[in-house]
Amino acid sequence: MADAMQDSRPVILSLAGFSKSFGEIQAVDNVSLDISEGEFLTIVGPSGSGKSTLVRLLAGLESPSAGRLLLRGRDITVIPANRRPTAMVFQSLALFDHKSVGENIEFAMKMKGVPPADRKARVHELLRLVRLPESFYARATTQCSGGERQRIALARAFASDPDILFFDEPLSAIDYRLRKALEVEFKDLHQRTGRTFVYITHSLEEAMVMSDRIAIMQAGQIIQIGTPEEIYGKPANRFVAGFLGEVNILEVAGGHFAGLDRPAPANARRYAVLRPEALRPGKGDVTADLTVVQRLMLGSRTQLFLRSPTGAPLISEVAGDAPEFERGTTYSFGFSPDNIAWVDE
Amino acid sequence: MTHSPGPKFALPVAVFLLACFAMPIVIVAWYSLMPPRTFDLGIDLTLANYHTAVTEGYARPLMWSLLGALITTLGTALIAWPSAVILHRHAGRGATVVSVLIALPIFISESVRLFGMNVFLMPRAGILAGSLDWAFGFKIGSILNTWMAALVGMIYIHLPFMLFPLLLGVSLIPQDRIEAARDLGANRWQTFREVELPLAAPGLLIGALLTFVLSLGANAEAAILGGRAVTVITAAIEQRFNYAQDWPMGAALTMVVIIVTAVIVLPVLARLDLNRLTQ
Repeated sequence: MADAMQDSRPVILSLAGFSKSFGEIQAVDNVSLDISEGEFLTIVGPSGSGKSTLVRLLAGLESPSAGRLLLRGRDITVIPANRRPTAMVFQSLALFDHKSVGENIEFAMKMKGVPPADRKARVHELLRLVRLPESFYARATTQCSGGERQRIALARAFASDPDILFFDEPLSAIDYRLRKALEVEFKDLHQRTGRTFVYITHSLEEAMVMSDRIAIMQAGQIIQIGTPEEIYGKPANRFVAGFLGEVNILEVAGGHFAGLDRPAPANARRYAVLRPEALRPGKGDVTADLTVVQRLMLGSRTQLFLRSPTGAPLISEVAGDAPEFERGTTYSFGFSPDNIAWVDE
Repeated sequence: MTHSPGPKFALPVAVFLLACFAMPIVIVAWYSLMPPRTFDLGIDLTLANYHTAVTEGYARPLMWSLLGALITTLGTALIAWPSAVILHRHAGRGATVVSVLIALPIFISESVRLFGMNVFLMPRAGILAGSLDWAFGFKIGSILNTWMAALVGMIYIHLPFMLFPLLLGVSLIPQDRIEAARDLGANRWQTFREVELPLAAPGLLIGALLTFVLSLGANAEAAILGGRAVTVITAAIEQRFNYAQDWPMGAALTMVVIIVTAVIVLPVLARLDLNRLTQ
């Protein structure tokens, strides 16, 4: 496992040998991880990878089967959720719809016994923080739009003045445009508040936009952790590479790229991961004649689905609308081995 | 503008409701305004019976009834809440069996069940007293024929009327709301008060209304288990109609109970949003 950029910030949360099993199912399998003060860490994985269970363990909503959890060096493994200085934004948001917006936001302060006048002042501050009008104080949560409800959930989590904020896929049920806007806002909020954010999502694209570091989870384990650039440039295995979106994975057999019938370089390993934009029409160190099977226009670029003479599928991405690449035409495509990320499994 | 056929179709139901629900109340109200000990409905109206109801010590039976209904409502709620939470969390075959076992006795006559409870509570060789004596050598005095025994019977009889609406109410609490409250620092009691109770309120209110109204009109528990240790208002009304042969007085007491019930129940009913239960 490639270790991530070790920044100089102190560790806020440290997991050691964290595991959780539900009967026969090992949801989280021996996860060890250090989260730095003020970082935006995103844990990405497909459904069933254990990422939601992991964050629920961190928030104290589940107790681990094994392992230890240290918050600034203090063991909080057995501390229940209500006594942890962390707050969670739930996938469903879990707003209290029997309470007003103001009552939702001030909930954590009320539980702590903060006097009503102080609570009200702080709620107005929090409404400003999440860019909601102060008139929302008395509004019913059921009268708020999806984006407004997201902001209320955020403000409510911030109200407890948490050391760490957890996000359990809060944007998964939101339409594309609003999601894009809120991703930028989450990142902005992270920068403005300097809090530690631990974000769970199944979308690597979402993770790329917001995170300082990304941890990829598969079958209960963290299989790679690093900066978005590291994940993108050096995926740890085919699973991570595939998670990045459409990508060419070429198997190397007998010193040749299988399916292309071209010799592989000396440093080749089992699989070559080649990004679509690295497979270009025209010249390259490795070239092959490929037939266009399908052409998809993506606005500023065009995606070409190709097939090699031996039938191997490949994807290329070219700028513009590339009208010459009609279906059925054959062109020479090439790539440089420098652009390949090699993986063994 | 087209005429809806609705009113015409509603007519049979309206006639039925008028004849079977409104008329008896009108007749009772009318009787209550007749001179004492008359058996005819006339136009010679008087408030004499109401005057007697206020001055002749009927406040006490009414108080016993109200207190009994209140204690029964609270008692059933205290038993039904944890039961409903457990049944909801473990929903499945086991929970269904338990629910059916709780519901089944409703189909057995109330007096039969109360006589069963009577055998259970009997002193010396009764099931409760006998078992305690046999198992622990612990002797309890007679609790039969006390107000306490009547209350035990009331709670026993009315528990299903609280439990099933409450089960519906408890199922309205999404698990993530409880988790959110915990995450935001609420302890168990705060979570219950701030989140679980308000979210389950519609079910709790329906259960409380049913239990309260039914308990207020209950008579058999006090008679069979309470041994008339206290006189409840329904017993007083029955006495007026039967032994005393004073229908107008019985009718006046009935009207008092109806009015008191309405005063207590209507404000609760007005706050109840039945739509929330079906969401």
